[in-house]
Amino acid sequence: MGLNIRAIVKTLSLMLILIGFSMMPSLLISVFYGEYKTAEAFAKIIFPVLATGALISSQIKIIPHQLKMREGFIIVALSWFFASLIGSLPYLVTETVDGFVNAFFESVSGFTTTGATIISNVEILPKGILFWRSFCQWLGGMGILIFAISILPALGISGQRIARAETPGPTLNKLRPRMSDSAKMLYYIYAVFTISAISLLILGGMDPFDASIAAFGSVASGGLSNYNSGIQHFNSAYIEFIASFFTVIACINFTLYYSIVRGRWRDFFKNSEVRIFLLILCLATAIITADLWLTGSYNTIWESLRFGFFQSSAFITTTGHYSTNFNIWTSFSKMVLFILMLIGGCSSSTGGGIKVIRVIILFKLIKRSFHVKLHPKAVIPIKVDGKIIPPDTMAGVMSFFYLYVFVFIASTFILSLENLDLLTTFTTTAAALNNVGTGLELIGPTGSFALFSDFSKVYLSFLMLMGRLELFTIILLFTPSFWNPDR
Amino acid sequence: MDFRLITRVLSIVILIEAFSMVPALSVSLIYNEHSTAGAFLFSIVLMLLLSIAGIYFVKPLSKSVNIREGLLIVASSWILASLLSVLPYMLSGSIQGFADAFFESSSGFTTTGASILSNVESLPRGILFWRSFTHWLGGMGILVFAIALLPSLGIGALHIAEAETPGPTTDKLTPKLTSSTRILYYIYIGMTTAEVILLLLGGMNVFDAFIHTFGSVGTGGFSSYSDSIAHFNSLYIEIVITVFTLMAGINFNLYYFLFFRNWRDFVKDRELRAYLLIILFSAVLIAVILYYFGIAERFGTALRLAFFQTVTIITTTGYSTTDFNLWPSSSVMILLLLMFVGGCSSSTSGSIKVIRIVVLFKLIRRGIYKRLHPTAVVPVKLNGKNLSSGVVSSIASFLFLYIIIFMVGTLIVSIENVDLITAASTVAACLGNVGPGFGEVGPLSSYSLYSDATTVFLSLLMITGRLELFTILLLFMPGFWDTNR
Repeated sequence: MGLNIRAIVKTLSLMLILIGFSMMPSLLISVFYGEYKTAEAFAKIIFPVLATGALISSQIKIIPHQLKMREGFIIVALSWFFASLIGSLPYLVTETVDGFVNAFFESVSGFTTTGATIISNVEILPKGILFWRSFCQWLGGMGILIFAISILPALGISGQRIARAETPGPTLNKLRPRMSDSAKMLYYIYAVFTISAISLLILGGMDPFDASIAAFGSVASGGLSNYNSGIQHFNSAYIEFIASFFTVIACINFTLYYSIVRGRWRDFFKNSEVRIFLLILCLATAIITADLWLTGSYNTIWESLRFGFFQSSAFITTTGHYSTNFNIWTSFSKMVLFILMLIGGCSSSTGGGIKVIRVIILFKLIKRSFHVKLHPKAVIPIKVDGKIIPPDTMAGVMSFFYLYVFVFIASTFILSLENLDLLTTFTTTAAALNNVGTGLELIGPTGSFALFSDFSKVYLSFLMLMGRLELFTIILLFTPSFWNPDR
Repeated sequence: MDFRLITRVLSIVILIEAFSMVPALSVSLIYNEHSTAGAFLFSIVLMLLLSIAGIYFVKPLSKSVNIREGLLIVASSWILASLLSVLPYMLSGSIQGFADAFFESSSGFTTTGASILSNVESLPRGILFWRSFTHWLGGMGILVFAIALLPSLGIGALHIAEAETPGPTTDKLTPKLTSSTRILYYIYIGMTTAEVILLLLGGMNVFDAFIHTFGSVGTGGFSSYSDSIAHFNSLYIEIVITVFTLMAGINFNLYYFLFFRNWRDFVKDRELRAYLLIILFSAVLIAVILYYFGIAERFGTALRLAFFQTVTIITTTGYSTTDFNLWPSSSVMILLLLMFVGGCSSSTSGSIKVIRIVVLFKLIRRGIYKRLHPTAVVPVKLNGKNLSSGVVSSIASFLFLYIIIFMVGTLIVSIENVDLITAASTVAACLGNVGPGFGEVGPLSSYSLYSDATTVFLSLLMITGRLELFTILLLFMPGFWDTNR
């Protein structure tokens, strides 16, 4: 079949080293807070992991050659899977999470920046573990940026690519992704966002630990918290606003920040994806605020706006933070949240979901078909930002969307075997597939995913990975033609 | 746009509707319901006057209907027919309030079968008959009669037929529009007669047999009993109704093949195969779930319940033999999905239609294939023929539009602050012309819980769904009215 197994194994061994190093901060946190048992557990994991990784990677020498597309898909899928597997070790060794399935779920939820949890009481966990949980998200957010900006275009998954500014991202042609300066800058931007978020949250009166957890949750659009009541715990409009602000900017196409750094502000504000994204957010905030105020859910219009904006931004960015129990909101507001969940953030950002650019293209497709009904012979190209979308990209967006719908429906059916109410079931699918992590009813702000059976938890982990990696990356691995190159 | 031409065609539609009320009038007379008969008589006379005025005084400028006029004629005919059908409901006092009456009559014509009435047994027979008769008329399309009449008036009507026939138009049946619609009507009438006779043999009285025949061949779902088909508690009747709704959900053009003994094209049809496969698969799956969760004690009973419900939901009929609201979530989920699938194109059923689902899966398959072979040019094939990129993109945008309308519709209904499953299934049931939904609009409940504004919105949603979205939505586009664009 001619797969370059060496290249795959080498990448995975590098992954081991990376994860090993990533556990260091958590180890330090544990030591700092005097949680020696947790620290010991981290140490026990880090050294074998690093040693194995180093051993394997030193043994394998690769002849540099063009990486084939199939290998690219396998590497991406396995990397996320592997990272989640290793990432579940701290939970298991410290025995903070019962059983492999739960630990794996928690770890996948972290690396996919979903922020769903099976732990019903997070406040009793050691700080080191809490830090690791959130740090996984941060790593996942970083990983997804690399994936979206550098790897996806090489794999030819269109849609994400369309709104890209003129910055050519690095390509995957020599195995080691060569980072051009422009791409490196994007990762610096991510780091800068994180540090600013932490600093601003500390200014709001949070202690550095809480601030880091909340910042990781925001910039990675993950949404895990170290309190059972989430952001509500702090009950501060300032903190809510800072968290929302950073989730929103983390959900804007990162390549556009490069334009800003280069002084091309126009590119940023002329970008239709960003405009529509912000427009949807403002519109949703406005109607939720009006609804909450008019139906008397909150006493003042200011409070309605505060929670309306926080919850809208938390859902469209697929973060899943919560600062209020939105389960008691009206059906109308809940429906708006559900729609926001499906739309998701911009392309090449840390947000999940269908992505705004695809929604824009699909709406343009509808607009065109209205025109064609009246003028059957007209040939009208679809344009975004003045550029014509090639038919192949159009077909790619369409097939992505319908695959999404199909996966959504099939997954909802599989989860409905749990015989929970349908609204819980639907929003569970949406929460996992779009990497939101919070849904309505039983998995709303007060609930956790602990109520699902092991089978469903494994399936949900799979769904989170699938959603994060833009469906095709995972689904392709299950098609016979993927493994049979002659077809 | 030639509004005189449009007025003339609409007048013909009114004329046809006036004549269609005659059977209901006779039923009222037979059952001695004099006030109902009076209501029908008044409506008939009023409509006759309107239509004669329209036909006699308005002289059209042009001889053929263009695309815009065709779309406008179809959209306004359906809305007008539903509006006029409000007359007997309100005049006889069976339904108070315009919004409710409009809902009931659009639900009839669009073959939805959703009702705002909680106790249908108390209605006069004439009204019950009219309600179900609108199913029968709407099933085939209320303009089909008009199309048959138009050529004799010297008006070409191709664009009307295109706008009213459900499903993407992929091929023409016969070059002569009127002769093919005539054959389709013979088939429809034949099916109706056969079902009435079979139901009579099952021990139904004549009135009930007609009501349930109209409900099943029109894939509507109005019954003369609140508990629908469960009232009869007869396996035979359930089987007859299942078979006929199933047949009504098949592309009528395929019967045309049968008519000329062209078995191959019938059996080989991709859409038909997919349709039957979906039914078989869903029914067996539901039966297993019902048996597993102990809803049915014996597997045979589970199969009976599952088959009946699967067929009536996928064909968007909406008859029920049990309160499927109480079923486990997984079976409810399957039924909800079937609501979106619908029957075959050019059948009397509503919703998305199997052919579009088939194309959707082909698009997904092609998408996966193209990931690995980015340069490959893969056409989408159906029944061995390549679909043009125009047809594929129109199907793709239809599906997306359907999802958008469903979402926005649910959002609008959720203003009523019913739970979201009720709201979503209300919209799915109305847009797909199914009838009953889940939650508070389940098979044993009615749509009376909604406010007038929502009721009217849902009525328009049913008509939008029946006319395959574009026909109604185009009217709201500025480009439609601006002929220069």
